[in-house]
Amino acid sequence: MTDLALRSVGLRKTYRTKGSPPVEALAGVTLEVRSGERVALLGRNGAGKTTFLRIASTLLRPTAGAVEIFGVDVDQHPERVRPYIAVVPQEGKPFFHLTPREQVYTYLRARGLSRETGKARAEAALEAMGLTDFADRLAITLSGGQRQRTMVATVLATEAPFLFLDEPTIGMDPFARRSVWASLRALSRRGSTIMLTTHYLDEADELSERLYIIDRGVVRVSGTSEELKRSVGGTLKVHMPGGAAEIERFRSFGRCVPDGTGLTVIAAPERLGELMGVAVAAHLTATVGPVTLEEAFLNVVGRSIDEE
Amino acid sequence: MRSESVGWPRPFQGLTAFLWTEVLVQAHEELAMATSMVVQGVLLVFVWILDPTLIGVALLGAVLFSMFTMGQRVLNEAAYLRIDHKANELYLAGPLTAEGYFLGLSAGVMIVYLPPVVIVGILAGLVVHLTLVEVGLLIVLAFGVWVCAASIGYIFSTAFRENRAIWAYSSLFFNVFGVLPPVFYPLTKFPVALRPIVLLMPPSAAAAILQTAIGAVRPPAGEITLAAVGLVVEAVLLFALAVYWARRTARER
Repeated sequence: MTDLALRSVGLRKTYRTKGSPPVEALAGVTLEVRSGERVALLGRNGAGKTTFLRIASTLLRPTAGAVEIFGVDVDQHPERVRPYIAVVPQEGKPFFHLTPREQVYTYLRARGLSRETGKARAEAALEAMGLTDFADRLAITLSGGQRQRTMVATVLATEAPFLFLDEPTIGMDPFARRSVWASLRALSRRGSTIMLTTHYLDEADELSERLYIIDRGVVRVSGTSEELKRSVGGTLKVHMPGGAAEIERFRSFGRCVPDGTGLTVIAAPERLGELMGVAVAAHLTATVGPVTLEEAFLNVVGRSIDEE
Repeated sequence: MRSESVGWPRPFQGLTAFLWTEVLVQAHEELAMATSMVVQGVLLVFVWILDPTLIGVALLGAVLFSMFTMGQRVLNEAAYLRIDHKANELYLAGPLTAEGYFLGLSAGVMIVYLPPVVIVGILAGLVVHLTLVEVGLLIVLAFGVWVCAASIGYIFSTAFRENRAIWAYSSLFFNVFGVLPPVFYPLTKFPVALRPIVLLMPPSAAAAILQTAIGAVRPPAGEITLAAVGLVVEAVLLFALAVYWARRTARER
Protein backbone atom coordinates (compact mmCIF):
# COMPACT_ATOMS: atom_id res chain seq x y z
CA MET A 1 0.00 0.00 0.00
CA THR A 2 1.34 3.38 -0.96
CA ASP A 3 0.88 6.78 0.70
CA LEU A 4 0.58 8.27 -2.77
CA ALA A 5 -2.98 8.50 -4.02
CA LEU A 6 -1.95 9.60 -7.50
CA ARG A 7 1.31 9.56 -9.39
CA SER A 8 1.61 10.83 -12.93
CA VAL A 9 4.84 10.44 -14.85
CA GLY A 10 5.47 12.08 -18.23
CA LEU A 11 1.83 12.00 -19.16
CA ARG A 12 1.16 12.97 -22.76
CA LYS A 13 -1.99 13.21 -24.79
CA THR A 14 -2.27 14.19 -28.43
CA TYR A 15 -5.73 14.43 -29.98
CA ARG A 16 -5.81 13.41 -33.62
CA THR A 17 -8.93 14.29 -35.59
CA LYS A 18 -9.25 13.58 -39.29
CA GLY A 19 -8.99 16.79 -41.27
CA SER A 20 -7.50 18.80 -38.39
CA PRO A 21 -3.90 19.17 -37.24
CA PRO A 22 -3.02 17.15 -34.10
CA VAL A 23 -3.50 18.94 -30.80
CA GLU A 24 -1.03 18.23 -28.00
CA ALA A 25 -3.17 18.65 -24.87
CA LEU A 26 -0.62 17.21 -22.43
CA ALA A 27 3.09 17.44 -23.12
CA GLY A 28 4.53 15.45 -20.20
CA VAL A 29 2.73 16.04 -16.93
CA THR A 30 4.50 14.74 -13.86
CA LEU A 31 2.85 15.25 -10.48
CA GLU A 32 1.98 13.49 -7.25
CA VAL A 33 -0.93 13.67 -4.84
CA ARG A 34 -0.73 12.22 -1.35
CA SER A 35 -3.57 10.27 0.23
CA GLY A 36 -6.17 12.53 1.80
CA GLU A 37 -4.78 15.63 0.08
CA ARG A 38 -6.91 18.31 -1.63
CA VAL A 39 -5.29 19.43 -4.87
CA ALA A 40 -6.39 21.95 -7.47
CA LEU A 41 -5.35 22.07 -11.10
CA LEU A 42 -5.34 25.61 -12.44
CA GLY A 43 -4.81 26.84 -15.95
CA ARG A 44 -6.22 28.78 -18.84
CA ASN A 45 -8.96 27.34 -21.04
CA GLY A 46 -7.46 24.50 -23.05
CA ALA A 47 -4.42 24.21 -20.77
CA GLY A 48 -4.94 20.45 -20.34
CA LYS A 49 -6.66 20.26 -16.93
CA THR A 50 -9.72 18.31 -18.06
CA THR A 51 -7.63 16.03 -20.26
CA PHE A 52 -5.49 15.17 -17.24
CA LEU A 53 -8.54 14.57 -15.06
CA ARG A 54 -10.18 12.36 -17.68
CA ILE A 55 -7.07 10.22 -18.11
CA ALA A 56 -6.59 9.87 -14.36
CA SER A 57 -10.23 8.90 -13.93
CA THR A 58 -9.97 6.12 -16.57
CA LEU A 59 -12.16 7.91 -19.15
CA LEU A 60 -9.44 8.72 -21.68
CA ARG A 61 -6.39 6.84 -22.81
CA PRO A 62 -3.04 8.63 -22.76
CA THR A 63 -0.70 8.82 -25.73
CA ALA A 64 2.33 8.21 -23.51
CA GLY A 65 3.34 8.22 -19.86
CA ALA A 66 1.44 6.73 -16.95
CA VAL A 67 -0.90 7.59 -14.10
CA GLU A 68 -1.26 5.43 -11.03
CA ILE A 69 -4.12 5.68 -8.55
CA PHE A 70 -3.26 4.06 -5.23
CA GLY A 71 -0.39 2.32 -7.01
CA VAL A 72 -2.51 0.86 -9.83
CA ASP A 73 -1.87 1.94 -13.43
CA VAL A 74 -5.15 3.43 -14.68
CA ASP A 75 -4.45 2.60 -18.31
CA GLN A 76 -3.42 -0.99 -17.70
CA HIS A 77 -6.04 -1.84 -15.05
CA PRO A 78 -8.95 0.64 -15.22
CA GLU A 79 -11.34 -1.94 -13.79
CA ARG A 80 -9.25 -2.15 -10.61
CA VAL A 81 -9.20 1.62 -10.17
CA ARG A 82 -12.86 2.43 -10.86
CA PRO A 83 -14.38 1.11 -7.61
CA TYR A 84 -12.22 3.60 -5.74
CA ILE A 85 -12.98 6.76 -7.69
CA ALA A 86 -15.92 9.03 -8.48
CA VAL A 87 -16.09 11.89 -10.97
CA VAL A 88 -18.08 15.09 -11.40
CA PRO A 89 -17.73 15.48 -15.17
CA GLN A 90 -17.33 18.92 -16.71
CA GLU A 91 -20.77 20.12 -17.86
CA GLY A 92 -22.39 16.94 -16.56
CA LYS A 93 -26.11 17.09 -15.83
CA PRO A 94 -28.40 14.99 -13.66
CA PHE A 95 -31.17 12.98 -15.30
CA PHE A 96 -33.85 15.59 -16.03
CA HIS A 97 -36.70 13.23 -15.16
CA LEU A 98 -35.36 12.18 -11.79
CA THR A 99 -35.59 14.17 -8.60
CA PRO A 100 -32.32 14.97 -6.80
CA ARG A 101 -33.27 12.39 -4.16
CA GLU A 102 -33.78 9.70 -6.84
CA GLN A 103 -30.63 10.77 -8.69
CA VAL A 104 -28.32 10.48 -5.68
CA TYR A 105 -29.92 7.31 -4.31
CA THR A 106 -30.04 5.36 -7.59
CA TYR A 107 -26.46 6.34 -8.37
CA LEU A 108 -25.28 5.03 -5.02
CA ARG A 109 -27.21 1.81 -5.59
CA ALA A 110 -25.63 1.46 -9.04
CA ARG A 111 -22.25 1.70 -7.27
CA GLY A 112 -23.21 -1.29 -5.17
CA LEU A 113 -24.22 0.40 -1.90
CA SER A 114 -26.97 -1.15 0.21
CA ARG A 115 -30.45 0.42 0.39
CA GLU A 116 -29.89 1.65 3.95
CA THR A 117 -26.47 3.16 3.28
CA GLY A 118 -27.71 4.64 0.01
CA LYS A 119 -30.67 6.32 1.64
CA ALA A 120 -28.66 7.65 4.58
CA ARG A 121 -25.87 9.01 2.40
CA ALA A 122 -28.30 10.50 -0.12
CA GLU A 123 -30.16 12.40 2.61
CA ALA A 124 -26.91 13.64 4.14
CA ALA A 125 -25.55 14.80 0.78
CA LEU A 126 -28.79 16.54 -0.18
CA GLU A 127 -28.79 18.37 3.12
CA ALA A 128 -25.12 19.32 2.83
CA MET A 129 -25.73 20.76 -0.64
CA GLY A 130 -28.82 22.67 0.51
CA LEU A 131 -31.09 20.62 -1.73
CA THR A 132 -33.54 19.33 0.86
CA ASP A 133 -36.27 21.76 -0.20
CA PHE A 134 -35.90 20.73 -3.85
CA ALA A 135 -35.17 17.05 -3.27
CA ASP A 136 -38.49 15.85 -4.67
CA ARG A 137 -38.70 18.17 -7.67
CA LEU A 138 -37.75 16.85 -11.10
CA ALA A 139 -34.30 18.08 -12.12
CA ILE A 140 -35.77 19.58 -15.29
CA THR A 141 -37.57 22.15 -13.12
CA LEU A 142 -34.43 23.13 -11.19
CA SER A 143 -32.12 26.06 -11.95
CA GLY A 144 -28.68 25.47 -13.45
CA GLY A 145 -27.01 25.96 -10.09
CA GLN A 146 -29.37 23.54 -8.37
CA ARG A 147 -28.70 20.92 -11.05
CA GLN A 148 -24.97 21.37 -10.55
CA ARG A 149 -25.44 20.97 -6.80
CA THR A 150 -27.31 17.74 -7.53
CA MET A 151 -24.36 16.48 -9.58
CA VAL A 152 -21.91 17.35 -6.81
CA ALA A 153 -24.18 15.79 -4.15
CA THR A 154 -24.38 12.61 -6.26
CA VAL A 155 -20.63 12.23 -6.36
CA LEU A 156 -19.80 13.42 -2.84
CA ALA A 157 -22.34 10.95 -1.42
CA THR A 158 -20.19 8.09 -2.73
CA GLU A 159 -17.47 9.01 -0.22
CA ALA A 160 -15.12 7.37 -2.71
CA PRO A 161 -11.45 7.26 -1.71
CA PHE A 162 -10.51 9.46 -4.69
CA LEU A 163 -12.81 12.20 -5.96
CA PHE A 164 -12.26 14.02 -9.23
CA LEU A 165 -14.25 17.23 -9.70
CA ASP A 166 -14.06 19.12 -12.97
CA GLU A 167 -15.22 22.69 -12.31
CA PRO A 168 -17.61 21.50 -9.60
CA THR A 169 -19.00 24.86 -8.52
CA ILE A 170 -19.59 26.40 -11.92
CA GLY A 171 -22.89 28.28 -11.96
CA MET A 172 -23.32 28.08 -8.18
CA ASP A 173 -24.08 31.03 -5.93
CA PRO A 174 -21.53 31.94 -3.20
CA PHE A 175 -23.52 30.11 -0.50
CA ALA A 176 -23.67 26.90 -2.50
CA ARG A 177 -19.96 27.14 -3.30
CA ARG A 178 -19.18 27.36 0.40
CA SER A 179 -21.37 24.33 1.05
CA VAL A 180 -19.33 22.38 -1.50
CA TRP A 181 -16.09 23.54 0.09
CA ALA A 182 -17.28 22.47 3.54
CA SER A 183 -18.34 19.04 2.25
CA LEU A 184 -15.04 18.53 0.46
CA ARG A 185 -13.09 19.48 3.58
CA ALA A 186 -15.18 17.03 5.62
CA LEU A 187 -14.56 14.22 3.13
CA SER A 188 -10.88 15.04 3.07
CA ARG A 189 -10.75 14.81 6.88
CA ARG A 190 -12.31 11.35 6.60
CA GLY A 191 -9.52 10.28 4.23
CA SER A 192 -10.78 10.96 0.71
CA THR A 193 -8.30 12.41 -1.75
CA ILE A 194 -9.67 15.25 -3.83
CA MET A 195 -8.51 16.64 -7.15
CA LEU A 196 -10.43 19.48 -8.72
CA THR A 197 -10.13 21.92 -11.55
CA THR A 198 -11.49 25.43 -11.22
CA HIS A 199 -11.28 28.88 -12.73
CA TYR A 200 -12.28 30.42 -9.40
CA LEU A 201 -8.95 31.27 -7.84
CA ASP A 202 -10.52 32.13 -4.49
CA GLU A 203 -11.93 28.60 -4.47
CA ALA A 204 -8.53 27.07 -5.18
CA ASP A 205 -6.98 29.30 -2.51
CA GLU A 206 -9.63 28.43 0.06
CA LEU A 207 -9.85 24.73 -0.59
CA SER A 208 -6.57 23.35 -1.84
CA GLU A 209 -3.62 22.20 0.16
CA ARG A 210 -1.55 22.16 -3.01
CA LEU A 211 -1.93 23.71 -6.43
CA TYR A 212 -0.61 22.82 -9.84
CA ILE A 213 -0.67 25.46 -12.53
CA ILE A 214 -0.78 23.82 -15.93
CA ASP A 215 -0.17 25.66 -19.15
CA ARG A 216 0.17 24.34 -22.68
CA GLY A 217 0.12 20.77 -21.39
CA VAL A 218 2.85 20.94 -18.75
CA VAL A 219 2.99 21.77 -15.05
CA ARG A 220 4.49 25.27 -14.85
CA VAL A 221 4.59 25.52 -11.08
CA SER A 222 3.29 23.75 -8.00
CA GLY A 223 3.12 24.46 -4.31
CA THR A 224 0.84 25.70 -1.58
CA SER A 225 -1.20 28.80 -2.13
CA GLU A 226 1.15 30.78 0.13
CA GLU A 227 4.23 29.54 -1.72
CA LEU A 228 2.76 30.58 -5.02
CA LYS A 229 1.82 34.00 -3.67
CA ARG A 230 5.33 34.50 -2.28
CA SER A 231 6.78 33.63 -5.68
CA VAL A 232 5.27 36.82 -7.07
CA GLY A 233 7.97 38.83 -5.28
CA GLY A 234 6.05 40.54 -2.49
CA THR A 235 3.02 40.19 -0.30
CA LEU A 236 1.33 43.50 -1.08
CA LYS A 237 -0.09 44.86 -4.28
CA VAL A 238 -0.38 48.59 -4.75
CA HIS A 239 -2.68 49.73 -7.52
CA MET A 240 -2.42 53.25 -8.89
CA PRO A 241 -4.90 54.47 -11.52
CA GLY A 242 -3.01 56.51 -14.13
CA GLY A 243 0.29 55.18 -12.79
CA ALA A 244 1.46 53.50 -15.99
CA ALA A 245 3.04 56.73 -17.21
CA GLU A 246 5.17 56.87 -14.04
CA ILE A 247 6.29 53.24 -14.17
CA GLU A 248 10.01 54.06 -14.10
CA ARG A 249 9.65 55.69 -10.64
CA PHE A 250 8.38 52.39 -9.19
CA ARG A 251 10.60 49.75 -10.78
CA SER A 252 12.91 49.61 -7.77
CA PHE A 253 10.01 48.63 -5.45
CA GLY A 254 9.22 45.37 -7.14
CA ARG A 255 7.42 43.88 -10.11
CA CYS A 256 5.42 46.49 -12.03
CA VAL A 257 2.39 45.36 -14.00
CA PRO A 258 0.84 48.03 -16.24
CA ASP A 259 -2.88 47.65 -16.79
CA GLY A 260 -4.00 50.13 -19.43
CA THR A 261 -3.26 53.53 -17.88
CA GLY A 262 -3.13 52.00 -14.42
CA LEU A 263 -0.18 50.35 -12.69
CA THR A 264 0.06 47.60 -10.10
CA VAL A 265 3.26 47.22 -8.09
CA ILE A 266 4.00 44.05 -6.13
CA ALA A 267 5.98 45.17 -3.11
CA ALA A 268 7.31 44.06 0.25
CA PRO A 269 5.50 45.56 3.32
CA GLU A 270 8.67 47.17 4.67
CA ARG A 271 8.94 49.40 1.58
CA LEU A 272 5.29 50.41 1.53
CA GLY A 273 5.84 53.79 3.24
CA GLU A 274 8.58 54.77 0.82
CA LEU A 275 6.45 53.66 -2.15
CA MET A 276 3.48 55.69 -0.96
CA GLY A 277 5.72 58.71 -0.67
CA VAL A 278 6.73 58.38 -4.33
CA ALA A 279 3.07 57.94 -5.30
CA VAL A 280 2.08 61.13 -3.44
CA ALA A 281 4.95 63.01 -5.06
CA ALA A 282 3.69 61.86 -8.46
CA HIS A 283 0.14 62.99 -7.56
CA LEU A 284 -1.18 59.43 -7.78
CA THR A 285 -3.86 57.81 -5.63
CA ALA A 286 -3.12 54.26 -4.50
CA THR A 287 -5.04 51.30 -3.07
CA VAL A 288 -3.17 48.66 -1.13
CA GLY A 289 -4.19 45.03 -0.71
CA PRO A 290 -2.65 41.62 -0.14
CA VAL A 291 -1.28 39.67 -3.07
CA THR A 292 -3.82 37.04 -4.11
CA LEU A 293 -3.54 33.80 -5.98
CA GLU A 294 -4.71 35.67 -9.05
CA GLU A 295 -1.44 37.64 -9.17
CA ALA A 296 0.51 34.41 -8.78
CA PHE A 297 -1.52 32.77 -11.53
CA LEU A 298 -1.15 35.72 -13.89
CA ASN A 299 2.55 35.86 -13.11
CA VAL A 300 3.12 32.19 -13.93
CA VAL A 301 0.85 31.99 -16.95
CA GLY A 302 2.04 35.39 -18.16
CA ARG A 303 5.63 34.14 -18.17
CA SER A 304 4.44 31.08 -20.05
CA ILE A 305 2.72 33.27 -22.65
CA ASP A 306 5.88 35.39 -22.98
CA GLU A 307 7.82 32.23 -23.79
CA GLU A 308 5.47 31.46 -26.71
CA MET B 1 -7.42 2.39 0.58
CA ARG B 2 -11.03 2.34 1.70
CA SER B 3 -13.96 1.67 -0.59
CA GLU B 4 -17.69 1.33 -0.32
CA SER B 5 -17.75 -1.40 -2.94
CA VAL B 6 -17.22 -5.09 -2.43
CA GLY B 7 -13.68 -6.02 -3.37
CA TRP B 8 -13.08 -6.79 -7.02
CA PRO B 9 -15.50 -5.43 -9.58
CA ARG B 10 -18.07 -7.88 -10.86
CA PRO B 11 -19.26 -7.77 -14.50
CA PHE B 12 -22.85 -6.93 -13.67
CA GLN B 13 -22.49 -5.18 -10.31
CA GLY B 14 -24.98 -2.32 -10.11
CA LEU B 15 -26.74 -3.35 -13.33
CA THR B 16 -30.14 -3.79 -11.67
CA ALA B 17 -29.93 -0.40 -10.00
CA PHE B 18 -28.88 1.33 -13.21
CA LEU B 19 -31.64 -0.52 -15.08
CA TRP B 20 -34.14 0.77 -12.53
CA THR B 21 -32.73 4.28 -12.93
CA GLU B 22 -33.34 4.08 -16.67
CA VAL B 23 -36.87 2.76 -16.10
CA LEU B 24 -37.59 5.74 -13.82
CA VAL B 25 -36.17 8.15 -16.39
CA GLN B 26 -38.04 6.65 -19.34
CA ALA B 27 -41.32 6.16 -17.48
CA HIS B 28 -41.78 9.94 -17.31
CA GLU B 29 -42.33 9.99 -21.09
CA GLU B 30 -45.88 8.61 -21.14
CA LEU B 31 -46.62 10.22 -24.49
CA ALA B 32 -43.56 8.60 -26.05
CA MET B 33 -44.76 5.22 -24.79
CA ALA B 34 -48.16 5.78 -26.42
CA THR B 35 -46.71 7.06 -29.70
CA SER B 36 -44.25 4.17 -29.88
CA MET B 37 -46.97 2.10 -31.59
CA VAL B 38 -48.08 4.70 -34.16
CA VAL B 39 -46.09 3.34 -37.13
CA GLN B 40 -47.16 -0.22 -36.35
CA GLY B 41 -50.78 0.93 -35.99
CA VAL B 42 -50.74 2.69 -39.35
CA LEU B 43 -49.27 -0.36 -41.06
CA LEU B 44 -51.87 -2.61 -39.43
CA VAL B 45 -54.64 -0.36 -40.79
CA PHE B 46 -53.12 -0.55 -44.28
CA VAL B 47 -52.98 -4.34 -44.11
CA TRP B 48 -56.54 -4.49 -42.78
CA ILE B 49 -57.79 -2.39 -45.70
CA LEU B 50 -55.77 -4.17 -48.40
CA ASP B 51 -56.17 -7.79 -47.25
CA PRO B 52 -57.91 -8.51 -43.91
CA THR B 53 -56.81 -12.18 -44.07
CA LEU B 54 -53.23 -11.03 -43.41
CA ILE B 55 -54.00 -9.19 -40.18
CA GLY B 56 -52.73 -12.08 -38.02
CA VAL B 57 -49.38 -12.10 -39.79
CA ALA B 58 -49.25 -8.30 -39.55
CA LEU B 59 -49.98 -8.34 -35.81
CA LEU B 60 -47.17 -10.80 -35.18
CA GLY B 61 -44.97 -8.62 -37.39
CA ALA B 62 -45.94 -5.59 -35.32
CA VAL B 63 -44.60 -7.31 -32.19
CA LEU B 64 -41.28 -8.10 -33.87
CA PHE B 65 -41.07 -4.64 -35.47
CA SER B 66 -41.67 -3.02 -32.08
CA MET B 67 -38.85 -5.03 -30.53
CA PHE B 68 -36.60 -4.01 -33.42
CA THR B 69 -37.37 -0.30 -33.10
CA MET B 70 -36.31 -0.47 -29.45
CA GLY B 71 -32.80 -0.42 -30.90
CA GLN B 72 -33.54 3.07 -32.18
CA ARG B 73 -34.57 4.12 -28.67
CA VAL B 74 -31.37 2.63 -27.23
CA LEU B 75 -29.36 4.53 -29.84
CA ASN B 76 -31.12 7.81 -29.06
CA GLU B 77 -30.95 7.40 -25.30
CA ALA B 78 -27.32 6.25 -25.14
CA ALA B 79 -26.13 9.06 -27.42
CA TYR B 80 -28.23 11.69 -25.63
CA LEU B 81 -27.02 10.68 -22.18
CA ARG B 82 -23.42 10.67 -23.36
CA ILE B 83 -23.49 13.92 -25.32
CA ASP B 84 -25.87 16.04 -23.24
CA HIS B 85 -25.54 14.69 -19.70
CA LYS B 86 -22.10 13.01 -19.59
CA ALA B 87 -23.91 10.23 -17.75
CA ASN B 88 -21.51 7.68 -19.19
CA GLU B 89 -18.60 9.48 -17.47
CA LEU B 90 -20.47 9.66 -14.18
CA TYR B 91 -21.27 5.95 -14.22
CA LEU B 92 -18.28 4.42 -15.99
CA ALA B 93 -15.73 6.13 -13.74
CA GLY B 94 -17.08 3.93 -10.97
CA PRO B 95 -17.81 0.29 -10.18
CA LEU B 96 -20.56 -0.12 -12.81
CA THR B 97 -18.95 -1.96 -15.72
CA ALA B 98 -19.27 -0.90 -19.35
CA GLU B 99 -21.35 -3.98 -20.16
CA GLY B 100 -23.52 -3.28 -17.12
CA TYR B 101 -24.10 0.26 -18.42
CA PHE B 102 -25.02 -1.03 -21.91
CA LEU B 103 -27.31 -3.76 -20.59
CA GLY B 104 -28.93 -1.61 -17.91
CA LEU B 105 -29.71 1.16 -20.36
CA SER B 106 -31.02 -1.23 -23.04
CA ALA B 107 -33.11 -3.32 -20.66
CA GLY B 108 -34.49 -0.22 -18.95
CA VAL B 109 -35.69 1.15 -22.28
CA MET B 110 -37.16 -2.25 -23.19
CA ILE B 111 -39.08 -2.65 -19.93
CA VAL B 112 -40.75 0.75 -20.27
CA TYR B 113 -41.76 0.26 -23.90
CA LEU B 114 -42.80 -3.38 -23.45
CA PRO B 115 -46.42 -2.97 -22.20
CA PRO B 116 -47.88 -1.75 -25.53
CA VAL B 117 -45.99 -4.54 -27.31
CA VAL B 118 -47.47 -7.11 -24.92
CA ILE B 119 -50.96 -5.78 -25.68
CA VAL B 120 -50.35 -6.20 -29.43
CA GLY B 121 -48.92 -9.65 -28.71
CA ILE B 122 -52.05 -10.67 -26.79
CA LEU B 123 -54.18 -9.33 -29.64
CA ALA B 124 -52.09 -11.36 -32.11
CA GLY B 125 -52.49 -14.45 -29.93
CA LEU B 126 -56.28 -14.04 -29.95
CA VAL B 127 -56.52 -13.41 -33.70
CA VAL B 128 -54.09 -16.15 -34.76
CA HIS B 129 -55.06 -18.60 -31.97
CA LEU B 130 -51.46 -19.23 -30.98
CA THR B 131 -50.63 -22.44 -29.13
CA LEU B 132 -48.46 -22.28 -26.03
CA VAL B 133 -45.48 -23.47 -28.07
CA GLU B 134 -46.09 -20.71 -30.63
CA VAL B 135 -46.37 -18.13 -27.82
CA GLY B 136 -43.04 -19.39 -26.48
CA LEU B 137 -41.54 -19.15 -29.94
CA LEU B 138 -42.86 -15.59 -30.32
CA ILE B 139 -41.25 -14.59 -27.02
CA VAL B 140 -37.91 -16.20 -27.92
CA LEU B 141 -37.88 -14.61 -31.37
CA ALA B 142 -38.89 -11.20 -30.00
CA PHE B 143 -36.06 -11.45 -27.47
CA GLY B 144 -33.60 -12.39 -30.22
CA VAL B 145 -34.68 -9.42 -32.31
CA TRP B 146 -34.33 -7.12 -29.28
CA VAL B 147 -30.80 -8.38 -28.55
CA CYS B 148 -29.78 -7.63 -32.13
CA ALA B 149 -31.49 -4.22 -32.18
CA ALA B 150 -30.21 -3.08 -28.77
CA SER B 151 -26.67 -4.14 -29.69
CA ILE B 152 -26.80 -2.32 -33.04
CA GLY B 153 -28.34 0.73 -31.36
CA TYR B 154 -25.68 0.95 -28.65
CA ILE B 155 -22.79 0.44 -31.07
CA PHE B 156 -24.08 3.13 -33.46
CA SER B 157 -24.79 5.53 -30.57
CA THR B 158 -21.06 5.87 -29.95
CA ALA B 159 -20.49 7.24 -33.46
CA PHE B 160 -22.48 10.45 -32.95
CA ARG B 161 -20.98 13.67 -31.62
CA GLU B 162 -24.14 15.78 -31.63
CA ASN B 163 -27.81 15.07 -31.15
CA ARG B 164 -29.09 16.70 -34.33
CA ALA B 165 -27.28 14.09 -36.42
CA ILE B 166 -29.00 11.31 -34.46
CA TRP B 167 -32.47 12.67 -35.15
CA ALA B 168 -31.72 12.68 -38.86
CA TYR B 169 -30.36 9.14 -39.18
CA SER B 170 -31.49 6.87 -36.37
CA SER B 171 -35.08 6.30 -37.48
CA LEU B 172 -33.99 5.64 -41.05
CA PHE B 173 -32.12 2.42 -40.32
CA PHE B 174 -34.67 0.87 -38.01
CA ASN B 175 -37.74 1.80 -40.06
CA VAL B 176 -36.27 0.72 -43.38
CA PHE B 177 -35.09 -2.65 -42.08
CA GLY B 178 -38.34 -3.20 -40.20
CA VAL B 179 -40.91 -2.06 -42.79
CA LEU B 180 -39.58 -2.93 -46.25
CA PRO B 181 -38.73 -6.62 -45.65
CA PRO B 182 -41.56 -9.15 -45.11
CA VAL B 183 -42.32 -8.43 -41.46
CA PHE B 184 -45.90 -7.13 -41.79
CA TYR B 185 -46.63 -9.30 -44.84
CA PRO B 186 -45.88 -12.94 -45.74
CA LEU B 187 -42.41 -13.99 -46.83
CA THR B 188 -43.86 -15.63 -49.94
CA LYS B 189 -44.88 -12.23 -51.36
CA PHE B 190 -41.20 -11.22 -51.44
CA PRO B 191 -39.12 -11.97 -54.60
CA VAL B 192 -37.45 -15.38 -54.27
CA ALA B 193 -34.10 -14.13 -55.55
CA LEU B 194 -33.86 -11.51 -52.79
CA ARG B 195 -35.09 -13.68 -49.92
CA PRO B 196 -31.61 -14.67 -48.63
CA ILE B 197 -31.02 -10.97 -47.93
CA VAL B 198 -34.18 -10.43 -45.89
CA LEU B 199 -33.73 -13.78 -44.14
CA LEU B 200 -30.47 -12.43 -42.74
CA MET B 201 -32.19 -9.35 -41.31
CA PRO B 202 -33.27 -10.00 -37.71
CA PRO B 203 -36.91 -8.78 -37.88
CA SER B 204 -37.75 -10.45 -41.19
CA ALA B 205 -35.89 -13.65 -40.21
CA ALA B 206 -37.94 -13.86 -37.00
CA ALA B 207 -41.14 -13.07 -38.93
CA ALA B 208 -40.40 -15.82 -41.49
CA ILE B 209 -39.95 -18.38 -38.70
CA LEU B 210 -43.18 -17.31 -37.00
CA GLN B 211 -45.16 -17.23 -40.23
CA THR B 212 -43.96 -20.77 -40.99
CA ALA B 213 -44.76 -21.96 -37.46
CA ILE B 214 -48.38 -20.78 -37.67
CA GLY B 215 -48.77 -22.18 -41.19
CA ALA B 216 -49.19 -18.83 -42.93
CA VAL B 217 -46.36 -19.64 -45.37
CA ARG B 218 -44.59 -22.79 -46.48
CA PRO B 219 -41.12 -21.75 -47.65
CA PRO B 220 -38.38 -24.28 -48.51
CA ALA B 221 -36.72 -25.76 -45.42
CA GLY B 222 -33.43 -24.18 -46.44
CA GLU B 223 -34.89 -20.69 -46.12
CA ILE B 224 -36.15 -21.30 -42.58
CA THR B 225 -32.86 -22.89 -41.59
CA LEU B 226 -31.07 -19.84 -42.94
CA ALA B 227 -33.40 -17.54 -41.00
CA ALA B 228 -33.02 -19.49 -37.73
CA VAL B 229 -29.27 -19.99 -37.88
CA GLY B 230 -28.78 -16.42 -39.09
CA LEU B 231 -30.82 -14.97 -36.24
CA VAL B 232 -29.03 -16.99 -33.56
CA VAL B 233 -25.58 -16.23 -34.97
CA GLU B 234 -26.40 -12.53 -35.41
CA ALA B 235 -27.81 -12.22 -31.90
CA VAL B 236 -24.77 -13.86 -30.34
CA LEU B 237 -22.23 -11.99 -32.47
CA LEU B 238 -23.93 -8.60 -32.19
CA PHE B 239 -24.27 -8.96 -28.41
CA ALA B 240 -20.62 -9.96 -28.08
CA LEU B 241 -19.64 -7.06 -30.32
CA ALA B 242 -21.75 -4.63 -28.29
CA VAL B 243 -20.13 -5.79 -25.03
CA TYR B 244 -16.68 -5.49 -26.62
CA TRP B 245 -17.58 -2.06 -28.04
CA ALA B 246 -19.03 -0.87 -24.71
CA ARG B 247 -15.76 -1.81 -22.99
CA ARG B 248 -13.65 -0.24 -25.72
CA THR B 249 -15.57 3.05 -25.80
CA ALA B 250 -15.72 3.33 -22.00
CA ARG B 251 -12.37 5.05 -22.52
CA GLU B 252 -11.91 7.54 -25.33
CA ARG B 253 -8.82 7.23 -27.47
